[in-house]
Amino acid sequence: MIAGTWISILLLVVPGAASVFYFREIPVATVVGAGIEEVLAVFLYWLRPPNGFFFVDSLSWVFIFMITSIYLLSSIYSLKYISERNATGVKQHTYYLLMNLFAISMLFSAQVNNYGLMWVGIEATTISSALLIMTEKSEESLEATWRYIILVSAGVTFAFISIILIYYSFGTLTVSTILDAGVRNTLFVRVAVSVALVGFGTKIGVFPVHTWLPDAHSEAPSPISAMFSGVLLPTALYVLYRIFQIDPLTSIFIWFGTISIVAASLFLGYQAKYKRMFAYSTMENMNLALIGIATMNPIGILGALYLLISHSFSKAGAFYSSGNILSSTDTKDVARVSGISKKMPLTSVAMLMSSLGVSGTPPFGTFFGEILILYSMFITNAFPQFIIVVIFLVFAFVGINLNVSRMLFGPAVDAKEPGRLMPSIAIVASLIPIVIGAFYMVVNYAIL
Amino acid sequence: MLTLILETVSQFLFVLLSAPLFAGIFGKFKARIESRKGPSIFQPYYDIIKLLKKETLVPSGSSILFRYVPYAAFGVYCLIALIIPVLLPVPIIFTASADFLGGAILFSLAAFLKMAAAMDSGSNIAAMGVSRLASFNFLGEGALITVFIAVSLITATDNPYTTNAYLVSNPSANITLVHVFATLAFFMIFLYETGKIPLESAGLQELGMIDESLNYEYSGRLLAMNKWSGYIKQYLLGSVLLNVFLIPWGLYSTYPYFLLDIPVMFGKWLLLIFIVMVIETTLAKVRLFKILDYLAVAFTFSILFLLLSEVMH
Amino acid sequence: MNYESIVFLLSASILISAFYVQGQRYIISMIRGQLVQSLLIAGTTFLLSYLNHSIDLLILGLLLLFLRGVLITYLLETKVPRRKSYVFEEGVNVPYLFLVDLIFIVVAVFIIYSIIFSSLVPVSQPGTSSTLLFPLLLFFQGLFLITSRRSTFSQIIGYVEEENSLVLFAIFLLPVPIVIEASVFLDVLALVVISSVITVEKFSHERMEELRG
Repeated sequence: MIAGTWISILLLVVPGAASVFYFREIPVATVVGAGIEEVLAVFLYWLRPPNGFFFVDSLSWVFIFMITSIYLLSSIYSLKYISERNATGVKQHTYYLLMNLFAISMLFSAQVNNYGLMWVGIEATTISSALLIMTEKSEESLEATWRYIILVSAGVTFAFISIILIYYSFGTLTVSTILDAGVRNTLFVRVAVSVALVGFGTKIGVFPVHTWLPDAHSEAPSPISAMFSGVLLPTALYVLYRIFQIDPLTSIFIWFGTISIVAASLFLGYQAKYKRMFAYSTMENMNLALIGIATMNPIGILGALYLLISHSFSKAGAFYSSGNILSSTDTKDVARVSGISKKMPLTSVAMLMSSLGVSGTPPFGTFFGEILILYSMFITNAFPQFIIVVIFLVFAFVGINLNVSRMLFGPAVDAKEPGRLMPSIAIVASLIPIVIGAFYMVVNYAIL
Repeated sequence: MLTLILETVSQFLFVLLSAPLFAGIFGKFKARIESRKGPSIFQPYYDIIKLLKKETLVPSGSSILFRYVPYAAFGVYCLIALIIPVLLPVPIIFTASADFLGGAILFSLAAFLKMAAAMDSGSNIAAMGVSRLASFNFLGEGALITVFIAVSLITATDNPYTTNAYLVSNPSANITLVHVFATLAFFMIFLYETGKIPLESAGLQELGMIDESLNYEYSGRLLAMNKWSGYIKQYLLGSVLLNVFLIPWGLYSTYPYFLLDIPVMFGKWLLLIFIVMVIETTLAKVRLFKILDYLAVAFTFSILFLLLSEVMH
Repeated sequence: MNYESIVFLLSASILISAFYVQGQRYIISMIRGQLVQSLLIAGTTFLLSYLNHSIDLLILGLLLLFLRGVLITYLLETKVPRRKSYVFEEGVNVPYLFLVDLIFIVVAVFIIYSIIFSSLVPVSQPGTSSTLLFPLLLFFQGLFLITSRRSTFSQIIGYVEEENSLVLFAIFLLPVPIVIEASVFLDVLALVVISSVITVEKFSHERMEELRG
């Protein structure tokens, strides 16, 4: 199984190696590197590293696969997007360098076998991704960057208290050792898990500490928004899940998730900017996944994984198509975009598919994920939360699709398709969840 | 019993009679440092006697409150003089009438009475002074009471005599964090309550006038009472600072020797006057609105002190 | 003189420095206050490394001294606009800030400390749980500094205070692996470098119509 360890190491090294071409051809090198990463991630499924420095089980593999996939898509999408939008805040090659570091820090958090280093990885994602938000320099993007830095850092600092308490309770921070010891329910472990909910919850978008999320998503360039929504938040969720496993405080987590879904759906309804709307949709999906994980039964966790992986592609598609619309119409207002289905057919297809995907329409993978999570809530007797969540999921569904249909149909505004590459990436990303959904149905029927 | 009566009488009379003297010594010292000749150290006595002889005028619109509050406030300060260790380190006759916290609340009561009477005079200047004083006192009195409560947490009793005895018998208790915090906070409050620079509430210009505006409409005998109770207040606060916080040692409690407390208190007061003098001559007066900042710091110290004493004991 | 009271004295000075920073209008004196605080924490770390015979803590103290004491202070000071003595934050109402701060601290600390922290038994010397009060106070102090101020510098300093409190918490409770502890420092350093990019452009942070909701 040494090969597995090498793959894990390579996963961390390849984006760094791509960054060596900083002074010439870093965009191409990044895309090639991301491609290699994707292949490595696929191989990792069969060749797992033994529990040592790395800790990769089937669950972490899903996250690693998501990270590499969205990284690949975003790096290809950036080739055109970043050169078209004038990147004044961060130079083009620095942009790729930071993006590579961002990917490394996420892969590091998802693979490492140590709670302390997981925390370090999550902090590193903040540092590497902060400057990416201000790529298109404007007053708002600077403000959004600053809010992101200070809120997320302050929040994740909370989580360090929980790391110290875990170390105090177990005398070690090794994930596999602590999880093998089984559930430990002492006061300090409970405190550690609840503090981690607030701390890492800042990054996931749990209700009272989510405020950076819409700002960062709407001001960041679209490929970076896609990485934020699609993989950064799930990575934080993965770390939270690992801490949650020590002592599952199911009811607190489910309630926090429920309240966050309510908040996200309400905020989502009156957003005037389409990227902000998708950001709130991310918050809603993440918290649904949080609930799925918190129910702590195999169905819920399976549902959460389905939801996360399909959502990451759908949301990436949504942000890519938003990026297309933004670069051709140069506005973020929903009200100032209409009838693009006539002018930008490819982007419109991607936008429609992805918005249906993120709002959980069958046959997208998100739908099956949501169903599984709701079912799992039902069997863990979380009835009031179940009812609330169902009501507000409908709200969110209507909110997103109403806004998107306003943008797609009606009198046409002046717009044109920005080349071939960007729309096709958006379409690819938005169609993958259908494949995942179909795959689920096949698997499900095969079992039945 | 006889000794007890003697002790009570001597403490009462000492406070009453020597309080103006310390103000006089302070004035003289300050003049000397500023290279002036300065008034005699008995000047406060001369002032009081002169005022007692003068005619008393009462504003036409004022009520009974205006006329009797100076006596009431004087009485309150006299009562405080009997219940806190300002001369003797052992309880005397009236000590049981209130505890340390009671003493703090009596200080607040006297301040309130004076403010009410000043408002009653109907003068604009007095009203201005009262509004300033009220906006400062909500922090000042708060800090004073908090310090007094917190002191009682050290010995788990609200009796200042016990605190004094505890500090004398445990010298190391004087350098604990809790005690240092409390002393600092109380010293800041002392400077504020007695109107010393950097606060200087005793100034007579309208811009910085706080305390003096309460006396603005008073004259003759009533003014004399107000001035006298002002001196007593200064002595009381200073003695609490000295005996409970700063230097708890050196006081005698047994029968003939307790008279030695009088020179001891003089010595301690000279030290305190020296410290205050150094502060007065090195710092500049702060602006009126900065006084709130100053008091907020004192209040913060007192609350932190409360927190620490709660946690560490 | 026992070491415990020296530790308490140092911790209390750290706390006072935090209040000093909170009450300042001038950015330069906030930075100096942060410097004093970091030096005090370094001193505490050295004392504890002596008490616990721990090389890790010694290295930690040196790191603190170098990174916080020298590097971060230097980075921050060079970023303060040219006319240093005039740069101050408008609308800092000290009594109001202190009062709200006290309420915040007293409530948070009393609840958290009395329920949870007082029952922690520190592994490192001096093993009294009372010392854990100070990191907790400092943590909320830093959090309050971030929320109560609008300028970029104040918020950075609030964040540095928060991280200081984590270091203090860790050294008082038990020695956390040095790699993880050190990454806390690097984290702050990286953050200060990043924010120096932003401070060039944007000095204070107000509500924005574009980022509403």
